[in-house]
Amino acid sequence: MAPDFVFSPIRELAEEIRAGKISPVDLAETFLDRLESLGPRYNAVVTITRERALGQARLAEREIERGSYRGPLHGVPYGAKDLLATSGGIPTTWGAAPFRDQTFDHDATVIRRLEEAGAVLAAKLAMIELAGGGGYRQPNASFTGPPRNPWNPDYWTGGSSSGSGASVAGGFVPFAIGSETWGSILSPANNCGVAGLRPTYGRVSRHGAMALSWTLDKLGPLCLTADDCGLVLEAIAGPDPRDPSTMDRPFKYDADAPTEGFRLALLKGATTDVDEGVLANFEESLKVLERVATVEEIELPDLPYEAITRTILNAESASAFEELIESGRTSELTAPEDHYGLYARTVVLAKDYLKALRLRATMARTADEAMSPYDAVVAPARRSPASPVDEEFRRTTPGTARDIMGAVGNGAGLPSVSVPNGFTGDGLPTGVQFMGKAYDENTILAVARAYQSMTDWHDRHPPGL
Amino acid sequence: MSNEESEILFELVKGRYGDRLTPEELEEVRKGVERVAETALALRGVKLENWDEPFSIFKPYRKGE
Repeated sequence: MAPDFVFSPIRELAEEIRAGKISPVDLAETFLDRLESLGPRYNAVVTITRERALGQARLAEREIERGSYRGPLHGVPYGAKDLLATSGGIPTTWGAAPFRDQTFDHDATVIRRLEEAGAVLAAKLAMIELAGGGGYRQPNASFTGPPRNPWNPDYWTGGSSSGSGASVAGGFVPFAIGSETWGSILSPANNCGVAGLRPTYGRVSRHGAMALSWTLDKLGPLCLTADDCGLVLEAIAGPDPRDPSTMDRPFKYDADAPTEGFRLALLKGATTDVDEGVLANFEESLKVLERVATVEEIELPDLPYEAITRTILNAESASAFEELIESGRTSELTAPEDHYGLYARTVVLAKDYLKALRLRATMARTADEAMSPYDAVVAPARRSPASPVDEEFRRTTPGTARDIMGAVGNGAGLPSVSVPNGFTGDGLPTGVQFMGKAYDENTILAVARAYQSMTDWHDRHPPGL
Repeated sequence: MSNEESEILFELVKGRYGDRLTPEELEEVRKGVERVAETALALRGVKLENWDEPFSIFKPYRKGE
């Protein structure tokens, strides 16, 4: 039987820790034990960092006892997607067999900032190899095995932040850090029934993170609630001279922002060809949201949004992984399609890449203008729920599977938060996303908090865990 | 991007890496190059003005500044 606090949001855990009702060391031991006993069942974990975790937990305990409380993450365990560099001999594998013994002599900025906030690194979490950079088409695309969903281990977690989604959903850690280039936070948040926040591009330093696409990569939290995402974002956001994409624009989480009177936009076509269960839950979500928001349909001008973002991703990933491609070691990757997926990207012409970058500027202005009257764009987090763990997921996605929200959101660097909004008839979670204008994390988090205050999907957890 | 251009690019990939790939894998690479070509075609269909430039601006570098 899991202790009561295993599925407590960070905010509640923090109150207990600060009041001395929960010991950070006991908390760390509990989650380390769960990572060890349950993590392998779901292929969710690469490395458990027990020694480092207990050292950090003991320090947190001593500091809190003597009144040096650092804030809501002090003494709270977490897991990091295994593309974030960690020092001390802890491997950073990028989920990929050719890098399974890779180590670094430094911590990624996010890891360092979380340490400064007093958080406790309990594990490096499983991920899709190279964050999906090889063009994988199936869940079995990681040397740690296909990531299994805590709601039903015969189904996938989503990816590429697979272990991050599974570990929060399963109560293996109170929160996790993931990354998104195109869908890699929102997909596992959707499939695993947790909250996931993709911050504005440049909000969080990527120093020490594996690069898949320099102008698309973002790091963000996966948590039990949107409120928790705000707490974690405040700890990890901010400028970093080691990542020139970061902006000198401080982020202070506003947990008291109004949670009513919102204007939401619904992108025309956003619900075309989505799964039946996803659509039913989304329509129900809109009814709930009508209590605190108006919803109007909008249409974006006709631009090749997906081609813009896809071309940038193709060109930058071919360059980021040039050494791996030339070495021929892609043949060591797990998914057969990842053995050759990067090769075609090596022939993106420079002029087409530059055209995509020029069109990105048009796309960003277009999206900002269309969204300017609204607090957020609301849409299903994904078009379909989790797919079976042993099937190619692109075969299970209905319709033509266009992803305008993902293309615009990631291409223009816009923030989005996904929170659970129900279950399909098969008992698989679905999510609703709120995408905001650049730098508007506080607004979308307020909308998501409002939604979660009117629903209890986030209070439900996988049976038996 | 024409089919001819796509074929030329595929031949370039094949020439560089073909000895590592099975015929089945090469066929998948061909499809991948065709997808790259399709996305390029979509981009090329949009007119931009001469002065429409990317967001990423090169900044000359001096240590410490």
